[in-house]
Amino acid sequence: MKQPSWLKKLLLSLLIPIAVFAVLEIIALVKGVRLFAGEDSWKLFFRAVANVTLTTFALSINLDSGRFDFSLGAVSMLSATVAGTLAQEWGIGPWPTLAIAVVAAALLGLFHGGVYVLTRIPPIIVSLGMTLFYEGCAFAFTGGKGVSLVTRTDIIGFSTIFNYILLTAIAVVAVIILFDNTRFGANYRALLSGQKIAVETGIREKGNALGCYAVSGALMGVVGFISLANTGSQQLSLNFGSIGIMFTAFLPMFIGGWIGRYINKRVGIMLGAVSMALISLAFARFDTASSVQSIISALLLVLFLIYLNNEFAILSKFRKKQKVSEK
Amino acid sequence: MKNMKRSICLILCLLMALSCFSAMAAGKIKIGVLVSDATSSEALAFRAYYTEYIAKAYDVEFIYSDELTDAAGEKSAIDNFIVNNCKAVISFSSFDRPAQIDQCDAAGIYYAVATGTLTDEQYEEYKDYEYYVGAIGPSMDIEFQTGYDMAAYYIDQGMTKFGMFGGGVPYYVDMHIYRAAGMLTAMVEKGGEGANYKGADNKYAIIGQIYQDGGIDTGKIGSLELVAYVGGYDFNDAWFGKLAQMVGTEGIEVILTVGSGVDVLGGFVAGSNVKLATVDSFTPAMGEAMKSGILDYMAGKYAASVGPIFVATYNAVNGAPIRDNDGNALALGQGFWVATNSEQFSEYSAVDSSNTDPAYTREIMDKYAGMGVSYDDFAAFVSQYSFDEIVALKK
Amino acid sequence: MGRQTLKERIPAFASVIGLGVLIAAYYIIGAVRDANVEYGLKAIVNQSVVVALVATGAVFIYTLGSVDISLGAATGVSALLGAMTYNATGSLWLMFFTCVGVALAIGIINSSLASVFNLPIFVTTVAMMSVLSAFMLILIGLNGKGDTIKVKARDVRPLDTIEIKVGILLAYIALCWFIFTLLPTGREAKFIGGNPLCAFLSGINEKKLAVIASLVSAVGIGLGAFLSIVYAPTLNRNTASSIGMDVIIAIVFGGMPVSGGPRSRILAAVVGAFSMGFLSQIMSMLNLGSGYGQMIKAAIFLLVVFIALGSRRGKLLTR
Repeated sequence: MKQPSWLKKLLLSLLIPIAVFAVLEIIALVKGVRLFAGEDSWKLFFRAVANVTLTTFALSINLDSGRFDFSLGAVSMLSATVAGTLAQEWGIGPWPTLAIAVVAAALLGLFHGGVYVLTRIPPIIVSLGMTLFYEGCAFAFTGGKGVSLVTRTDIIGFSTIFNYILLTAIAVVAVIILFDNTRFGANYRALLSGQKIAVETGIREKGNALGCYAVSGALMGVVGFISLANTGSQQLSLNFGSIGIMFTAFLPMFIGGWIGRYINKRVGIMLGAVSMALISLAFARFDTASSVQSIISALLLVLFLIYLNNEFAILSKFRKKQKVSEK
Repeated sequence: MKNMKRSICLILCLLMALSCFSAMAAGKIKIGVLVSDATSSEALAFRAYYTEYIAKAYDVEFIYSDELTDAAGEKSAIDNFIVNNCKAVISFSSFDRPAQIDQCDAAGIYYAVATGTLTDEQYEEYKDYEYYVGAIGPSMDIEFQTGYDMAAYYIDQGMTKFGMFGGGVPYYVDMHIYRAAGMLTAMVEKGGEGANYKGADNKYAIIGQIYQDGGIDTGKIGSLELVAYVGGYDFNDAWFGKLAQMVGTEGIEVILTVGSGVDVLGGFVAGSNVKLATVDSFTPAMGEAMKSGILDYMAGKYAASVGPIFVATYNAVNGAPIRDNDGNALALGQGFWVATNSEQFSEYSAVDSSNTDPAYTREIMDKYAGMGVSYDDFAAFVSQYSFDEIVALKK
Repeated sequence: MGRQTLKERIPAFASVIGLGVLIAAYYIIGAVRDANVEYGLKAIVNQSVVVALVATGAVFIYTLGSVDISLGAATGVSALLGAMTYNATGSLWLMFFTCVGVALAIGIINSSLASVFNLPIFVTTVAMMSVLSAFMLILIGLNGKGDTIKVKARDVRPLDTIEIKVGILLAYIALCWFIFTLLPTGREAKFIGGNPLCAFLSGINEKKLAVIASLVSAVGIGLGAFLSIVYAPTLNRNTASSIGMDVIIAIVFGGMPVSGGPRSRILAAVVGAFSMGFLSQIMSMLNLGSGYGQMIKAAIFLLVVFIALGSRRGKLLTR
């Protein structure tokens, strides 16, 4: 089969974000609204790119291996709570606070992985238990108060376009190196495609799973810190109130999977996140009601999945029509 | 098998240890507390006052519900209180107050409403129920007035361009709708001749309009202008984007928030020239926000404001319910403290946040705890809710 | 195949042992805390019956190896529309049929998306959850009476009895047990959950089964919605919102693997729902406060699941 040229691959990779941008720009023109209207819009866009890219990485690392994780939001919340509290007590700046959030979240991920590996309880169930546990921890740690750093201009000042781009770039590069260019990544892929054979060939499944949970946690630590620096506060949730963040990652994950046919999958996920960030920006610029946002997001997810799961049939019909019209 | 046995032993040991620990509280009067908010600074302040001051001062045990989200949760929580042999329920949750009263009445346990009131119709129906203690808190009129005063404060300073954060308005939260209506009514009344909000030019029409829309529209209100509005608690990128946009709206001078505004807007307001006015509580975090200039105006319920309803409930449990001459339950209003500068805030906060010497101490409340307390005396006590009046009471 | 020894049989009853441990703990702690345990049993039935109904139906979906997290939102929408119907007509029967009908309609949409367009059920239900939650808010707005939709409590109070609730639950369990155990449907569903490829090669129609599973589950959702109104007739945007998560927990508490397959059992949902009810009562009696209470609840949850899974742990990590 003939492989598409690099130019064609590049164009196909950019097809979805460009198409999303074009559609939204047309709607913006019709509505008489500018999509990118100043620094706030750009900030929103790049913050959403960073949040969605990192959350989608965190979700897909384990989900691709059949490990469903509801605890992403709780890890993000607890790590930001720990880091924010220490930042307040020790008076440290944004970068050390970020480092603490990342380390704390990696440890939380590791602990989650440890419980999973030791108990052999199905991952989706362990994640439910860990979600409850981490939400409870965050509440107990701060006496329910959460964290308020609104007066810490240095930490709030971290929320710049440059920093969002930097964090996204570092995360994309780190995840690509770790999962595509290391032995850990090779083992991960082997376990992903054939768990039994991989284990029988001597790959340490437990170590790999623990590593995945730690990396996934670390990524959510960054997300937690971005949220903390954005508003200057970390509010707490109980009784599974933190799981919502995970659902924002499904559509970019599937888009990333599609784009991944033409370019590195991790870059594909980032481009999926760019598409989602454009949609978030449009929701903000068009002042879209929350319920309408939910419906549009869900419809987009379903429509994209319908295409993805029926691509062959849709494309063959399209090609048939094309042939008929050419004749 | 071994693992199973170990796990069973572990669970039983854990539960036994915990039950022995909690059994230390046995013998005290148990009071169930229904909460629909377990994490806001206001809710935490009330909880701290009950569990860290009142529980020790009166040797009672408070059993808190989980964070409730609907009427079914309230009913289950009251069932749990009954199982725990609670003698009374103090409710901070309002999904279905009539159902709560009926359930408690049927079970023969006392029921009281904290930081809220019943509607007039509900009060008429339940005022003579034996187990209904009553309600003490801001009525919808006081909520309305809180919003009105906040907006009027800035209009009187000559400000003309406002932003508004509507919190629970899209979810039809009554308290937030009334506060928002108060703000809009102030703008209509002070916006000059012909000023109106979408054609509505009085309190009731504005309230009706908000209920009809489930939101608030921006636009001119006479000589004033609502230039930006964000509602809801979506906590997603688009929502944060809308909040940032609101702060960046051209010409905006002040943002009025119907609920806690610092947690959601503080980061965006910091470093801007936009003033922020909010309804929250007197916590150290809010104090810092006010000191740094992020927060400019705060109306807050003080933590000990839930003291009087406890006293009324305590009296009822001890066989001395406070009723009016016709035998009706309490229905008393209670307002907010308003701080407009850092010094004032610190003064309020010092009284409000103390675990050893709170706004209402046992010494003050003991005057109204026990037999023979008249409705009028108790009403007079509750009506003295301003900071200065409470400081005077303490003397 | 020789007869199983007692030791070999115990894992099959591990979830019941887990429930037994919780019941024992409930009575012991109740005695220590001087609680009204008799009233507590009624409360547990009241609090568990809706989850038990929805989870029993959901066993069909889970048996196929799918996870549905839109069950709570589906129950909420069914209940809201049921309540609106009652307010418009004053007929409890119409309310009942609306609850079940709406749930069936949602089930048909879910299963159509899954079977006609070959969508993975889990992701479809993620999308449905968003749409249904938004729809609840829209319905409340359309109702135009504040943040709730209310049915008069006195109109549904006669139905709010343990006998009626348990009766409905038993009838539904009997129906599900019949379909699951005595008809080929259950066997085929287990086959698909255990080995989809083999089931496909054996000529089992997965799409047909997915539709049947959704419809049987929808009946449970409809009944759950009806009893939700009966239990607490003031509904809001959060009504039944926790059921999606509760069902997953109940099914696992009941000892059924979330991956479905041959170890799926109808009664798992009931055992699990009541285990949750007892755990919730125990936590309430311990009065530990929000943060620590939730941490301990999570730890006990994981330990009970650990027991309920018995010795069914392979060499490979579970997925």
